Amino acid sequence: MNRQEAIEVIMTTIGAQDAVVSTTGLISREIFEKFDSERNIYVPGSMGLASSIGLGLAMAQPTKRVVVIDGDASLLMNLGSAVTIGNKQPTNLLHIVLDNGAYASCSEERSMSNTAKLDVLAGEVGYQYVRTADSQNGLKRAIMEFGQGPGFILTKIELGGRRDFRRPLELAAIKSRFMLFFTRQTQGDQL
Amino acid sequence: MNQNDKGVFNALAGDRSEKADLLHGVFRKLGVNFASGVPCGVLRHIIKNFEDDAAMLHVIANRESEAVGLAVGAYFGGKTPVIYMQNSGLFSASNDIASLLVPYRMPIFFVVSYRGCEGEDAVQHLTTGQATERLLESFGLPFKVFENQNLENLTRSLFETMRKAGLPTFLLLKRGWHR
Repeated sequence: MNRQEAIEVIMTTIGAQDAVVSTTGLISREIFEKFDSERNIYVPGSMGLASSIGLGLAMAQPTKRVVVIDGDASLLMNLGSAVTIGNKQPTNLLHIVLDNGAYASCSEERSMSNTAKLDVLAGEVGYQYVRTADSQNGLKRAIMEFGQGPGFILTKIELGGRRDFRRPLELAAIKSRFMLFFTRQTQGDQL
Repeated sequence: MNQNDKGVFNALAGDRSEKADLLHGVFRKLGVNFASGVPCGVLRHIIKNFEDDAAMLHVIANRESEAVGLAVGAYFGGKTPVIYMQNSGLFSASNDIASLLVPYRMPIFFVVSYRGCEGEDAVQHLTTGQATERLLESFGLPFKVFENQNLENLTRSLFETMRKAGLPTFLLLKRGWHR
């Protein structure tokens, strides 16, 4: 499974009302180009903060599901965030890590995920639902079986893939449409 | 709560600050309902007020960058967050402020303790101390140093500036500000 296939599975399997927070670099750029939607928040700079943003969002709106699409190097850059998530126990947060063992958005320099058992770590710090996936079917099943979080799906993907995606630039507009989407959802829930 | 936790809170027993209580009240009136940050002794009364207020979602972060991320998520989720940290941490989080809060036009309020000023006894604060205001000026972000002005008016006016500009905005508090 490569990045493109993993992203396709995630974006077509999660619920239509789920919020998506995607990490810096090619992951956000691929999602922006192929699955841009009002439910998406891209983290164009500030590498590592996608899971923190997802936790803040999940705590602010505990009845909405939040899906974080992270990378292995960006998780390692803000590893304390996993501990915070385990401590706060957001049941509505699903943290998916696409692990290609590299800083793939740079020049594919090796990260250190190959010597770390990140799924074991997630379980030890308090994630309630921990799965690994290395195929599209496995990833789809892991997402569909997710019930009560915090959830963590370590998804092994191959290095490589397309790089010439455009960048999300109109961030203030992306913020406004996301917040409208979330407000509308909240009103709908009250009916 | 275990005995050790009690010990931690006992460190503040009888150590209240009218100014910190006033600031908390102003935050409440301005709609603040989420707080995240990294502790600093200069801010201890503010942090205790966040912690003791059941209407406030409060997350103590491991690093200043993490606090920025948490507050951004809370803001996206409709909350009004405040972030607190020491000015040393402001430098750690400076790229997150520049690359996330500024391009997303996030009006998020920061309370930053201002070490490395006149009378500083710790050498590790001197370099960041003399660069703090220049950092914020170079980013083009609004800030004010509290020098015993009317704290309510100062905070309200900073919030107004922040909401008009759509930018992160900073209140700097020096040691002894709370007395």
